[in-house]
Amino acid sequence: MGLLLITRFTLHEAMRKRIFLAVVVLSVVLLLGFAILFNFVVDASNGPPQLSHDLFLLGIGGFMSIPAIWLVYLLSSVLTILLTTNMLSGEIDAGTFTIIVPKPIHRFEIVFGKWLCYVLLLTAYTASLFFVFLVVIYLKTNYWPSDALRALGILELAVLVLMGLTTCGSAFVPTMVNGAIILVLFIGAQISSFINLIAPFVAPSAKDNVQNTTIVISLIMPTDALWHGSSFYLTSGASTLLQAAHINTPFTSTEPIAAALLVWAVIYALVLPLCGAWRFQYRDL
Amino acid sequence: MKQQLPAIEVEGLYKAYHHLIAVENVSFTTYRGEAFGFLGPNGAGKSTIVKIITGLVAKTQGTVRVLGQPINSMETRRRVGYLPELPNFHRWLKAQEFLEFHGHLYGMRGAALQKRCREVLAQVGLAGKEKQKLGTFSKGMLQRIGLAQALLNQPDLIILDEPVSGLDPVGQHDMRTILLHLKAEGVSIFLNSHQLADVEAICDRVAIIDKGHILKMGPPQSLFDEPLTIDIHLNAITHELLHKLGAVSLSVREDPDAPCHLLIEVQDEEQAADVAAVVHTCGLRLYSLAPRHRSLEHLFLNTIDMSSYQG
Repeated sequence: MGLLLITRFTLHEAMRKRIFLAVVVLSVVLLLGFAILFNFVVDASNGPPQLSHDLFLLGIGGFMSIPAIWLVYLLSSVLTILLTTNMLSGEIDAGTFTIIVPKPIHRFEIVFGKWLCYVLLLTAYTASLFFVFLVVIYLKTNYWPSDALRALGILELAVLVLMGLTTCGSAFVPTMVNGAIILVLFIGAQISSFINLIAPFVAPSAKDNVQNTTIVISLIMPTDALWHGSSFYLTSGASTLLQAAHINTPFTSTEPIAAALLVWAVIYALVLPLCGAWRFQYRDL
Repeated sequence: MKQQLPAIEVEGLYKAYHHLIAVENVSFTTYRGEAFGFLGPNGAGKSTIVKIITGLVAKTQGTVRVLGQPINSMETRRRVGYLPELPNFHRWLKAQEFLEFHGHLYGMRGAALQKRCREVLAQVGLAGKEKQKLGTFSKGMLQRIGLAQALLNQPDLIILDEPVSGLDPVGQHDMRTILLHLKAEGVSIFLNSHQLADVEAICDRVAIIDKGHILKMGPPQSLFDEPLTIDIHLNAITHELLHKLGAVSLSVREDPDAPCHLLIEVQDEEQAADVAAVVHTCGLRLYSLAPRHRSLEHLFLNTIDMSSYQG
């Protein structure tokens, strides 16, 4: 089947290209750095006398799972953007499609073959990194989020949403334009979270407007909202100490993600690649 | 008869890029087993037509059928080989991997594919380069490996867009030999080329295209509608000779650059033989009689010039 052939070929290409290898090596370096630092911090820390040491360690584990998994989210997002913004446009610009498209293969098989490869690659990367970070935390603190799989699922959905955007964009616009749009949206969603957080304190009268704007931005680029949804499940099973730390920050959420937003994100992740395939079907090469 | 079966049928083809009309009402048919050449200056629209035929570019209007089927037919694509103008291939692949991938796209598998890969590599002169990365290939080698992938499926029709660009003289000769061999095997060839000598040597019929229109089409020799010029060298030129030559030719003039040379325009080669006979009857010695070859290049340039003038 042409689709699986393209998937295998793209996987081969991704492995041969140094960018994937570079990100994986960097991820391992970051992980080692995190493990060493975390080890020092935990070994050197003394909890407050009113808390047992085990409970204190659980608190640290729960607290540290947020920045650790945020790092996973960031690395996965960056790798997704780096690997997939040129998914179609790169080959269109390079002219390599001119000997593939005339072969007995449907154009949609080319798009979904590539898409499937990156889905497998990036979700595997995200899941591996997610579990390895949590295992490092668990080994030192015994903390393991009870809803880890839900947190991972939402994190993977954020990767799929980003991939939907990059796939669609790469069928419509050149690589640089696509990359710039995705980066601006990705960073913009993050910044809107910050503004939404500080608005009630610095400009209470503008709180509703800021909130509405953040919702619109979340609909356009749901990745940050999905991260917040994931962070909720990372700490939901933690100790009372951690519950006390449950305040809204740009990195955490005290509420689960809205079901409507979750549905929207799933539709987004599926419909955008279809739009990309439709555009690629009819564009001149 | 195989010759009468169409290979490529183009009817009323029209392609516009926004306000730019690249191809306007182009119609032609090529036949099975025929080598068809497409000539035209840069920007004439010939690459656009090739891309429409190969399904890379969508037509604005008109019909295109390849081997009797619409261009999006998978069955047809299995029987067509295509070498694009620019050898933009995946340079991270080794030659063998490149051919295996394209063989898989054609639905070829296993030992048969391996055998075919070896055959086409040998055919294009790249035997022993299986393990070499395409990124290290010269432009000529890329052109050869491009031809190899186009031959993998033993196509009934091969479409070549500027196949000799980037090839050295040896490579050009090899390419011509391969194409003549394919033609002898009955493979239909559609050749889009600037190399007029190749088109002339290989093609049974030629179309000259400019500004999106086909200006002339037919066998190369039938496209010449101008007289043949012959150059004769004699020991002397006499009034009697000039008078008699005037009677058997269209025009006679002395070559200003060479003494005892005459430039004579005749309708065809039969009249050229009459010229020799006249020289003999006048008792003169004929040192040479050479037709000035009417090349496709000459025809091409004349046709394009005329089109520009009319335009």
